[in-house]
Amino acid sequence: MGSILNPLYYAVSWVMVTFHSLFGYVFGKDGNESIKWSLSIIGLVIVIRIILIPLFVKQIKSQRALTALQPHMKEIQKKHKDDRQKQSEEMMKLYKEHKTNPLASCFPILAQAPIFFALFTVLNGIARNTSHGVLKGDLLVSAQEAKFFGANLSNTFLSSDSNTQTKLVTVVLIIFMSATTFITQRQLMVKGMPKMDSSNNMMLQQQKIMLYVFPVIFAVSGVNFPVGVLIYWSTTNLWTFGQQFYVIKRNPTPGSPAYEELAKKRELKNKTNGALPIDDEPGTTQIDPGAEQPKQRQQPSKKKKKRK
Amino acid sequence: MRKIFAGLIKIYQTWISPGLAPRCKYYPSCSTYAADAVTEYGAKGIAMAAWRLVRCNPWSHGGVDYVLSKSSNQPIKRAVKIMNGTN
Repeated sequence: MGSILNPLYYAVSWVMVTFHSLFGYVFGKDGNESIKWSLSIIGLVIVIRIILIPLFVKQIKSQRALTALQPHMKEIQKKHKDDRQKQSEEMMKLYKEHKTNPLASCFPILAQAPIFFALFTVLNGIARNTSHGVLKGDLLVSAQEAKFFGANLSNTFLSSDSNTQTKLVTVVLIIFMSATTFITQRQLMVKGMPKMDSSNNMMLQQQKIMLYVFPVIFAVSGVNFPVGVLIYWSTTNLWTFGQQFYVIKRNPTPGSPAYEELAKKRELKNKTNGALPIDDEPGTTQIDPGAEQPKQRQQPSKKKKKRK
Repeated sequence: MRKIFAGLIKIYQTWISPGLAPRCKYYPSCSTYAADAVTEYGAKGIAMAAWRLVRCNPWSHGGVDYVLSKSSNQPIKRAVKIMNGTN
C-alpha cells in the first residue's frame, strides 16, 4: 500500500515544503514556522482545487446547455407526473441524447480522497518522526513544532499527548466543517437546482441529515484526524462554498430559482438602462423568453420595491 | 456477504447521500446499481459496481443503465423509494 501511494506522499510533501519556503520569503527565514506550515496546508488545498477547476467549468457548460432542453424537460415532467422512475429514466435519456449531463458525478470527491489520505499519512509521519517524501531533516523538526492556534498540526484529539488547546481547535474545526457543508448543500438545494415536485420532501430529509448525521460523522472521524487534515478539510469546504456561491450568482443552472432571479435582475436592468441583457449564449435569449415570459413580465415591479 | 454489502449501501442511501446534492449521471444511481449488482451477481457484482463508478465521470454523458437479471436478462427495476439522482 505504502509503495503505491509513495508518489502521492512525494507530491503532497513537495507542495507543502514548496509553499513553506515560499512563505519564508514573506515572513522571513526566521519567521513564524507555525504560520508558514499552516498556510502551506491551505496552499495544498488551493493547488488541488485549481487543478479541479476545469472539471467544474465543464460541468457548468453542460448545465448551460440545458437551456435548450428545457421545453423537453417540462414535457417529460408533465407526461410522467406520477411515475418518478419513468421520469428519471426519460430525463437521463434526454441528457445522453444531447450529450450533455448537468450532474457532477462522484469524481471530484473521489479524486480528492487519495490526496486526503496522503496528507493524513504525511502529518502522522511528522508526529511519529518518520519522514515521507521530501519532508525530512530540519523541515521535519520545524513541522513538528508547528501549531495552529496553539494546537500541533500533527496532533489529534484522541492522541495521548493532546492538550486542551488541541481538543478545542479540533472541536471548532469540526463545527466549522459541519456548518460549511450544511450551508453549501442547502444553498444548492434551495437555489441552485431546477425545482421538482418532490423537492420539499427531499429538502426536509436532507436538512435533518445535515443537521444531525453529518456533524456526528465529522465528529467521529475528526477526533482521529490530525489538526492539519482538519484544516485541509475545512479549507476545501470553504472553497466549495465560494465556488458554488459565485456560480449561483453569475451562472445559475437554467430552471433553478437562482436562474429566475438572475433573469429578473437582468430584465430590470434592461428596462432601466435600455441596454441589452448581458448574455453571451445566443441560445439562452432565443429559447428562454417564450417559456418564461408571462412570469417574467409580472415580476419586475415586485423586485423594484424590494430593491428600494 | 451479499446482504451485508447491500445493507451498507442501504445505510449510505438512507443516512448519507440524501444530505448531499444529487450528482450521479446515471439512472439508477451508482449506489442502487451496486446494490442490485451485488445481490444478483455476488463478487462479480462488486467489480460491476466499481466499473460503473469509473464510468460515472466528468467526461461521460450518463444515461439509463440497469443491472440485467441473470435468469431473464431483463433490467432489474425496483420500486423507487429513494429520490432520483443521488449517488
